[in-house]
Amino acid sequence: MSWPGYRWVGYGGAAALTAAATLVGLAMRPHFELVNIAMVYLLAAVAVALRFTRGPTIGASALSVVAFDYFFVPPSGTFSVDDPQYLLTFAMMLGVGLVISQLATVVRAQAQAQARLALEAETERIRNALLSSISHDLRTPLAVICGASSSLTERGERLGADERRALAQDIFAQARDMSELVAKVLEMTRLESGAIALRRDWAALNEIAGSVLRRLEERLAGHMVMIDLPEQLPLVRIDSVLVEQVLGNLLENAAKHTPPRTLIRLRAQTGAQVITVSVEDFGPGLPEDELEHVFGKFERGGGWVSGRGGMGLGLAICRAIVRLHGGAIWAERLPGGGMAFRFTLPLEPAPEMPAGDCALVNG
Amino acid sequence: MAEARGTILVVEDEPEIRRFLRSSLGAEGYKVVESPAGQRGALDAGMHKPDLVIVDLGLPDLDGVEVIRRIREWSPIPILVVSARTQERSKIEALDAGADDYVTKPFGVGELLARVRVALRHIRRTGIGEDLFLGESRINFEKRIATRAGQEVHLTPIEFRLLGCLARHLGLVVTHRQLLREVWGPSHVEHTHYLRIYMKQLREKLEADPVRPQHLVTETGVGYRLVADEEKYQGSDKL
Repeated sequence: MSWPGYRWVGYGGAAALTAAATLVGLAMRPHFELVNIAMVYLLAAVAVALRFTRGPTIGASALSVVAFDYFFVPPSGTFSVDDPQYLLTFAMMLGVGLVISQLATVVRAQAQAQARLALEAETERIRNALLSSISHDLRTPLAVICGASSSLTERGERLGADERRALAQDIFAQARDMSELVAKVLEMTRLESGAIALRRDWAALNEIAGSVLRRLEERLAGHMVMIDLPEQLPLVRIDSVLVEQVLGNLLENAAKHTPPRTLIRLRAQTGAQVITVSVEDFGPGLPEDELEHVFGKFERGGGWVSGRGGMGLGLAICRAIVRLHGGAIWAERLPGGGMAFRFTLPLEPAPEMPAGDCALVNG
Repeated sequence: MAEARGTILVVEDEPEIRRFLRSSLGAEGYKVVESPAGQRGALDAGMHKPDLVIVDLGLPDLDGVEVIRRIREWSPIPILVVSARTQERSKIEALDAGADDYVTKPFGVGELLARVRVALRHIRRTGIGEDLFLGESRINFEKRIATRAGQEVHLTPIEFRLLGCLARHLGLVVTHRQLLREVWGPSHVEHTHYLRIYMKQLREKLEADPVRPQHLVTETGVGYRLVADEEKYQGSDKL
């Protein structure tokens, strides 16, 4: 609404509508009283007030008075007025125009305020969802940690060695999950606030895959993970720490949402401009209408009830990281059932290699 | 308790973290000296002559990296860095400043003790004369011979140098910068892609499954770590 020509569009509109009112008035003239024709002008002023700002509305009112005087008030075809009563009509037309323009301004301001409030309410709703989600996911582990550690300190000597060990193990496991959850929340906050600057460097995706599999060995142990990467994948210029997180989150997600021993396949495909990396699972999959939502901040996918923490933040983090890299991420249903999560990373011209030693390399 | 296995200086400002370090390291037979701040820590390292130093990077009075620099001015003792997940950059700085390895908070005691053992063993090892065992691969640096399942594998001079550099820090992390400087020279420290290519070659030649390497391990964003079959490494001496 603020581009410089907009004002003139408003005045042009005011002139056009007044002209239209004049034409209608001329058509009405043989059959109607002049007062009714004045009403047509008022209608034009209201239309201008609804569509444009205050200036054009006042302009339309003034122009209406002039046109009404010239074309309709006897003697028509001149600006002179025979009957002084019409001066009152002019004043009323002008006055009503001003009042309408004022009212329209207020209504418009209220509508804007309403929209802002709605936006704030949405932000608030998201914040509440985050808080309730975090507090739910934190409360359980905290309860376990408090309970188990107080049993150890207050009743420790009465417990058997096995019981003590089990309690301590629970504390460790819950604290580790909590720490991961907190790390994810912090990560999302940092990504959203734009506080993360990419540290791009040449990286090999198969190396990142190897590293992530090592890190998640325990969590992926119940599933069959198949690495299906081409022998000669080009290097990509990425922030490897962040992209490793994307791969890790996708693999963890696949493991979390499919039954044990389900096959999970990691693939990559090189195109002209991008590399497409896919994590495919052969589990139950997601319904079609949820594919778009899974990357939202607090979605958990209806059928994918999460057993442990994570709050669906994992995929939102993936999306933020991939977008930072100028790539895209999406979810697809596989024809035979199961899900594919794919993301792209842009390719750049390959870096220059050192000369000399390569000659000695076989193949 | 038997004679201490060594003295460990812990430079850490959080008393609770000091306490669990003290109890778990103490239970393993190490003597623990504690410094609650960086300035003190750098001085204590000179005074107590510990066998290993554990430095937290988030100290209130003095940057942990600075503590490492001060110690490195006069001593090669192993230094282990404790860092938070958000301190990626200072972790790498600390390693480049001479720290030998790191653990990321929060960590389990098992992980910490493993790092301590590797760092202490590293200083005791005499040299590169013994054979290096990586699964079914075996490397002798003196004779420049590498075999895999008994078959000779041809390694290029740069591959040997790269592997040698990692082997000198066996079990410890070596940053990209350190590797590039030692293998290609100081003007190549930014050329991370050299490492990507050569590590891939080394893995294809020496690892049973190059995609899931067991020995030439990637520390994403930081560098590489060579993990050998330790028992074999210490035991045998002939090819």
